[in-house]
Amino acid sequence: MNAVLVYFVRDMRRWIRGRFNVWSALIMPAAWLVFVGLALPTKFTDHYLDFIAPGILVLTMLSAGMQGGSSLIFDKILGFLNKFLALPSPREAILFGKILFITVRGLLQASVIMVLAVLLGATIFTPAMIAFAYGVLFIFGVLLSAFSTAIALYVEDHDGYAAINALLSMPLFFTSSALMPYSVMPPWLRTIAQYNPVSFAIDLIRSFAAPPVLWASLVGLVAVALLMVALSSFLFRRVTV
Amino acid sequence: MAAIETAGLTRRFGELVAVDALDLAIDREVFGILGPNGSGKTTTVLMLTTLLRPTAGSARIAGHDVVREAARVRERISYVPQDMAVDIKLTGRENVSFYAALYGVAGHDRVDEVLGIMDLADRADDLAGTYSGGMRRRLELAQALVHEPGVLFLDEPTIGLDVAGRRAIWTHIAELRERGMTVFVTTHYMDEADQACDRVGVIAKGQLVAVDAPSALRHRLGGERISLQTDRLAPPVAVEGARLVRREPDRLVYHADDAADAVPALLAGLASAGVRVSGLEVAAPTLDDVFLALAGRQDEGGAFDYRQFRNMIRRR
Ligand SMILES: Nc1ncnc2c1ncn2[C@@H]1O[C@H](COP(=O)(O)OP(=O)(O)OP(=O)(O)O)[C@@H](O)[C@H]1O
Ligand SMILES: [Mg+2]
Repeated sequence: MNAVLVYFVRDMRRWIRGRFNVWSALIMPAAWLVFVGLALPTKFTDHYLDFIAPGILVLTMLSAGMQGGSSLIFDKILGFLNKFLALPSPREAILFGKILFITVRGLLQASVIMVLAVLLGATIFTPAMIAFAYGVLFIFGVLLSAFSTAIALYVEDHDGYAAINALLSMPLFFTSSALMPYSVMPPWLRTIAQYNPVSFAIDLIRSFAAPPVLWASLVGLVAVALLMVALSSFLFRRVTV
Repeated sequence: MAAIETAGLTRRFGELVAVDALDLAIDREVFGILGPNGSGKTTTVLMLTTLLRPTAGSARIAGHDVVREAARVRERISYVPQDMAVDIKLTGRENVSFYAALYGVAGHDRVDEVLGIMDLADRADDLAGTYSGGMRRRLELAQALVHEPGVLFLDEPTIGLDVAGRRAIWTHIAELRERGMTVFVTTHYMDEADQACDRVGVIAKGQLVAVDAPSALRHRLGGERISLQTDRLAPPVAVEGARLVRREPDRLVYHADDAADAVPALLAGLASAGVRVSGLEVAAPTLDDVFLALAGRQDEGGAFDYRQFRNMIRRR
């Protein structure tokens, strides 16, 4: 079996067997959708659920991806990483296994949101849209998990990692186009939001529901993801303890 | 070409020289590296397993340089770290299969075989979380052996185990040597090194102070070992021809070239100091004594080591 899959299966098994993890991972995004999508008395757009669903999807992937690095922190603190690094299989396999695990876990969460959004009356999720959204979320997930796993390689402990995670996730979250359209943002926020990578992914998914599709953003997202994977691979190949 | 060769192998952490110009040649034997906390054992193992880059000097495993041919080295070794690391949410078999797959070992036969060798066959399908400490250690050994490495690195394999557990591990290690494997093992336990290792290297403050067969090391110290049971902490009575090697609340240990001369003098000295001696033992020196004589005690300088702290907690 391919080493990437071996690492992936290990992480998946461990995750699924910690039942509490699984439930919280699946309920959290659902709670987001319900509380933000339905409870907020917003009248930014005609159909707020259709507007907010892509935002919640990407935000879920954002938090899944950024938090994903903690999986490597665990392996590091518990001594697994040392064993893995001394194995003959290519070290990038450790990284790719994590990327795959974190991204797939994020996609599972995203699936919950899509199902729930449809049940709650969202109209944008045609089969083509679902496929497109999965594609964008996958690329975005690869980008984030490559980034967060590389950070985890150089951070000492959970606290340090949580601090970095909060420092990056919070601003990315609040300055994105997830919760409100550009038209109602104050000008300063609009400027920031336009260059926020999180907005790129969100706008991309929204553009599929309301063409023209932003193909250039897609190409940009893929390019940045590939760059990040290349950089992280480089770091994994040369890391020492 | 020896299985493990080092030349001037050195590692510094800032000012601290953790490993100082190690020269070793180890082949087809169980080689024990013995040293107090912080003497550089783990650092040495990390360099030999390609996980840490040497500051100076070089090391070769089966002829391959640990820095320039790291991937080659990794194909030939297995490494069991000081910290126990088994996946508690996976079964014993899954734990071993995982490494088998990563080493490219095909089939389930080998997995079953190593589980059998480590006496885990009947618990193989239970979650490793339900295993005792000794079983987890054996599971780690099973993982390390699944690809039949040429060189096996074990960092304190018997820590936290009871007497039976330790004996089982060492019995397995002895079997590995019979099959032509080179085993590099660090330990704190002199009696274990004494019984199980072909050669022992004593390391103190990063420097190798002696390398020899355990019996030869004991002979090196020569003479006899006099142990006196006292009713309280005795003053370090000085006697010609005898050297104090240990002073404990209820015990004094001396080394003497001739116990027949030293014992009466010691008893007289202690009596005049008002110490009652309740027991007396004369024997050949143990490796423990050799170790203390060679390595002394090392103050653990440097930063507080979280991993070391965890190990200390586990030992309880
Ligand atoms: N990453 C590091 N940064 C700074 N100092 C370190 C680092 N790793 C080890 N040291 C120092 O190097 C010295 C040797 O440590 P090492 O872990 O090799 O000792 P050891 O012989 O394995 O000890 P023990 O028996 O307690 O496991 C210690 O003084 C330790 O504090
Ligand atoms: Mg150590």
